[in-house]
Amino acid sequence: MDECKVIIMGFGAVGQGVADALFMKKELIKEKTGFEVKVVAAADSSSSAISAEGLDEKLLVDTKKNEGKLSAYPEFGSDKNGAEILDAVEYDCLIEATPTNIVDAEPALSLTFKAFEQGKDVVTSNKGHLALKFKDVVSAAEKAGVEFKYEASVGGSMPIINFVKDTLSSCDIKSINGILNGTTNYILSRMTSEGSDYEDILKESQELGIAETDPTQDVEGIDAACKTVILANSLLGIDATYSDVKVEGISKITSEAIELANKDDYLIKLISEVSPDNLQVSPRLVKKGSSYDVSGTLNMATVKTDLADEVSVIGLGAGSLETASAMLTDLISILKNKN
Amino acid sequence: MRMDLVLELLDVPGQLVSVLEPISGLGANLVTVIHKRDYKNENGMVPVQLTMEGKQEDLKNVINRYEELGFSIIEIDGVIKKEKISTILFGHIVDRDLRDTMDKINAIEGVLIVGFDIKLNGEDKSTALINVEADFGKKQMFFKRLEEIAQEKELLVINEV
Ligand SMILES: NC(=O)c1ccc[n+]([C@@H]2O[C@H](COP(=O)([O-])OP(=O)(O)OC[C@H]3O[C@@H](n4cnc5c(N)ncnc54)[C@H](OP(=O)(O)O)[C@@H]3O)[C@@H](O)[C@H]2O)c1
Repeated sequence: MDECKVIIMGFGAVGQGVADALFMKKELIKEKTGFEVKVVAAADSSSSAISAEGLDEKLLVDTKKNEGKLSAYPEFGSDKNGAEILDAVEYDCLIEATPTNIVDAEPALSLTFKAFEQGKDVVTSNKGHLALKFKDVVSAAEKAGVEFKYEASVGGSMPIINFVKDTLSSCDIKSINGILNGTTNYILSRMTSEGSDYEDILKESQELGIAETDPTQDVEGIDAACKTVILANSLLGIDATYSDVKVEGISKITSEAIELANKDDYLIKLISEVSPDNLQVSPRLVKKGSSYDVSGTLNMATVKTDLADEVSVIGLGAGSLETASAMLTDLISILKNKN
Repeated sequence: MRMDLVLELLDVPGQLVSVLEPISGLGANLVTVIHKRDYKNENGMVPVQLTMEGKQEDLKNVINRYEELGFSIIEIDGVIKKEKISTILFGHIVDRDLRDTMDKINAIEGVLIVGFDIKLNGEDKSTALINVEADFGKKQMFFKRLEEIAQEKELLVINEV
């Protein structure tokens, strides 16, 4: 039986989701790929658990939840952190789920480059390095002859990158329009169904944990803009970076605007437009009952192609297990290629 | 009787044949056809002008057939088909000379405001819904010009996707 040793970097919602999902899907992965996946290290911002023999996924999650730090993991807890972990244990694939950073893309950028230099494959959910330096990262992976997959970075569990690359591979992609941020879709949906003001719904969303304490990344369209860049580069071959996207968030949307839109049978949604002549995140009018009419935290995307005309996908854009599902799919496709 | 038509076609081989087939097939006659494959409009489509002759009934059947086949007819006997577009503006709409904003929109070629609704919010920024009718194929131009007008007056535009 072949073995695939993985390191999980970043052990928050997504990292823990990956551990949980690996625990649930070990057998399935073995059946589909012939590989037994073993977690040889997991790390948070300041500590880690490391064992060449493999760690217990459930115990990792429990330790992090109960003790707050992975260094509290019985026997194998360690104060090692960051890049040194990649030298501390033999591994095959880095599963990287550290926070998105759109100032300098760290720590994801250095970790990813280091893994490539070591000849290791990388699966990520991170948007920062992709939004700032897509070309550099992808070409570094190619040069190193390793696999680099990032399905989870856009749309969480909603298939879009692999879907377009693999399933729509016969088509030229003309453009993609989509709702790529669940938090803002939730806020706009509630403003629409209740006629309430932006500020009130934002506050409630924060209490429910749907919006962050600092909601800027979501409500000002920054998160959606990062995803716009990732789709532009990966699916339309547009050499763009974050600063090439025109961004307008939803904080100026009033209940009056939603009411007026409703009069003409429209909804207001935060739409990412990815086309060769426009990279833009902005509130737009969409027809009720159209494929853009998805509510709550759902994400969607409509892909315009030459042969298949329009194809749309819908799915949960965030969540621990949901995002982990996309990362496991990436891992499985890497392992399938090894056979 | 005679009828002049302008249709929009995809720029792929075989399109023109499928446009011409129904004419003789349904008992009408083709008089002229102008098809310039090197000219594309803003939607990336190739316009075809044609004139056909026949009984009114037969000409009507040809038009129906085109609609069934999904060809966009953008002009019949010199009358350009219109598209309805809704857009929302947000900002100091009244203070920034509403009259002038409307005049500027109406001055865009092939575009006419046909509906207007505004919600005022005291001294605060207001929201307006504007409905326009635009000549077929003028939509992108309208969006572009509207964006310029809005920028000049610091208004937020919410356009159709
Ligand atoms: N949440 C989602 O649904 C979702 C969906 C799609 C994509 N993503 C992306 O996935 C990534 C992770 O998101 P998340 O929601 O899991 O974030 P999170 O809950 O904030 O977790 C981030 C984790 O990274 C750790 N970390 C911070 N700095 C680190 C460093 N220098 N080295 C190693 N680990 C470090 C944190 O450590 P501490 O525990 O010590 O703070 C924490 O465990 C982000 O890039 C995010 O954009 C998230």
